[in-house]
Amino acid sequence: MPTIRAASASLRLRSLDARYGLLGALLIAPTVLVFCTVIVYPLVSAIYLGLFSIYTPTMEGEWVGLDNYRRLLASGEFWRSLANNLIWTAGTLTLQIVFGILVALMLHRNLAFRALARSLVLFPYFLSTVVAVLVWRWLFNDLYGVLNHLLLWAGIVDLPVDWLGSMPNAMISLIFVGAWKYFPFVVIAVLARLQAIPDELYEAASIDGAGAWARFTDVTLPQLRDVLIVVVLLRTIWDFKEFDLIFLLTGGGPIIGTQTLPLMVYKEAFALNQMGGASAAAVLMMLIMLLFMSLYLSRARD
Amino acid sequence: MSGNSSKGGITRRAALRGALALCAGAGGLGSLPARANTTIRWWSTQSSPEQLAAYRFQIAAFEAQHPGVQVLFERTSDEGYPAQLAAAFAGGNVPNLVTHLPSFAVADYWHAGLLAPFDPVIESVGSDRFFAGTNRVYEIEPGVHAAAGIGNTAANMLWLRTDLMQRAGIESAPETWDELRAACRQMQGRGIYGAQLPYARNSATSLVIVCFIHGAGGQVLSPDLDVAIDSDEAADALEFYRSMRELCPPGATGYSWGETLSAFVSGATATGLYAGRVLVNVNTRNPRLAEHVTCVPFPTVSAEVPPWTFNDYPSVFIPADAPDQEMTRRFAAWLYEGEGYIRQLHATPGHILPVLQTAAEDERYLDHELVRRYRDEIALMSTSAAAGHNLGWESPEHRINVKAGALVNSGILAEMVQRVVLNEEQPRTVLADTARRIETIMNA
Repeated sequence: MPTIRAASASLRLRSLDARYGLLGALLIAPTVLVFCTVIVYPLVSAIYLGLFSIYTPTMEGEWVGLDNYRRLLASGEFWRSLANNLIWTAGTLTLQIVFGILVALMLHRNLAFRALARSLVLFPYFLSTVVAVLVWRWLFNDLYGVLNHLLLWAGIVDLPVDWLGSMPNAMISLIFVGAWKYFPFVVIAVLARLQAIPDELYEAASIDGAGAWARFTDVTLPQLRDVLIVVVLLRTIWDFKEFDLIFLLTGGGPIIGTQTLPLMVYKEAFALNQMGGASAAAVLMMLIMLLFMSLYLSRARD
Repeated sequence: MSGNSSKGGITRRAALRGALALCAGAGGLGSLPARANTTIRWWSTQSSPEQLAAYRFQIAAFEAQHPGVQVLFERTSDEGYPAQLAAAFAGGNVPNLVTHLPSFAVADYWHAGLLAPFDPVIESVGSDRFFAGTNRVYEIEPGVHAAAGIGNTAANMLWLRTDLMQRAGIESAPETWDELRAACRQMQGRGIYGAQLPYARNSATSLVIVCFIHGAGGQVLSPDLDVAIDSDEAADALEFYRSMRELCPPGATGYSWGETLSAFVSGATATGLYAGRVLVNVNTRNPRLAEHVTCVPFPTVSAEVPPWTFNDYPSVFIPADAPDQEMTRRFAAWLYEGEGYIRQLHATPGHILPVLQTAAEDERYLDHELVRRYRDEIALMSTSAAAGHNLGWESPEHRINVKAGALVNSGILAEMVQRVVLNEEQPRTVLADTARRIETIMNA
């Protein structure tokens, strides 16, 4: 009898486990479904489309295997676009981090109108990219732009500067506008962390004779390390795949001087009507980003 | 293929209507109004405030005559339509009607089987009302029209400031490139630049350099559509275009059509390359110049080479997958009717020139302040546009080039200009490379 009871209890437990398992599966099913719909499906589609030569308007085409990848990797345009992508990302990210930390440190101090300043500094981040680009295009305008007007008035230049139509001006202008647009994100993240650093750490450092710079490098920066790792990771991803700001400001020109990989994907898909080539470029872009992120995260962990 | 397609059998829309009518009947709700909730989506690249007002008039009149039909106007742009239409075609969410796209774009879409034949609309308007040969450029396959012209445009007229010419002692309009460059040099100064040519990486630059290649006596493709750009004439065109850079504003490296127009209309440049929109813009935005602007055919390399007018042949077409084809055809024909069409023309006098002989001779069209005031300029633009060509049809001997849209959108021609002008590369080297790239697209 005890054997039968034990077997029965074991059976019930297993049945209970099975029911819990089923319940668990049901509970995560919506998440899995959403994940598959918004991530797995587009990803698999992009990889699949990259194996075809497809005319965008009809979405009809033929199997070409890895030809799209071979063509892209053999073209100078792909590598130039990748180089531009890296220059843009590194340049604008560096400025964003530097400006972001400086402004966050400033706003952390007891300033007059600090609340107002904190609100105003977020303004570029909340501004629509289209509006921001229009404003900057006007500022850069050769005939009516304030920047050229001031430079001419001050006698710094004899002729208006072509800010967006010649190299390296176009890339420098782009990096600067990108930094202006996105540095508030760094400010928000860093400011939040600054407010959580215990004052005792600064007091102890001061007692040990640390000056302002030493307090910054030995207390503030180490405390900001974790938040900066996340900020750099997120901003790198976002800057690497930035499209609208670059497209609207320079269109990738002059020639392909500021054409990044997202612009190349767009050009393949909608200017050349080669959806297969565009998908292949997008997949390569994703792989490159994954490689950089893996390296970055492994270094950050070390 | 849209579920609303009428190609054979019962369409999804018809089945839905039938089911709705059945439900309504069963519930004793009475019959539904005929053609309830029919929406015609109309896309156009031409949407200045004056043009929008004319469209609103035409739409209101059409809706009043067709209860239950709503026409929605949606803007696109010269630089943006390739992407927008590609996405619309790919997603099966096409507009009913598209107007003012260049003829080479029409050829591209027709070649891909994306457009419905436009002959019923032409017949409905009356083929004899069009100027002879106006719709030739849309006859991509013999006997079938992919679209019809809604207007003509002489897009590369040379606009001149007569007051500046007088001040510089220039007695007549330049006819050759050397004369043009000399005139621009003479008029440049006091904050005014000589010219406003585009040097950007965009379709405007691509299309304008084609005008210069023809102005040198060359061509991009031969009549049989073999690549012919690697020539002495094209090299001359690039050399001349490069020499004009110093006479243009620094920001011309970013100019598209809009910026070139603004540069001339605002008075920042002494000459301009543009179509007839200059007239209305000068009169509304900078009237002090209104008495001092005129236009001539754009100069060529020498008197032996005749002017080559760039007419993009603004079109009207209907995507094959557009729903409500019959109503769309009616609306397309409506755009040419009476006062509505004349209002369209009057919105930008001289820019969109009439393709209907009946409209051109209509007293209502002629009785407009700007049409009267600039009668000579408009007559010249009309004559030039009527003999005009573009990359899709470079000369009367040329076959229609269904890859012209792809060539323009690829940016190859604009990049060619930038390599020569900005990078100071040798024109022949760049032309050889450009010829290879064009060949790839033509053979794709």
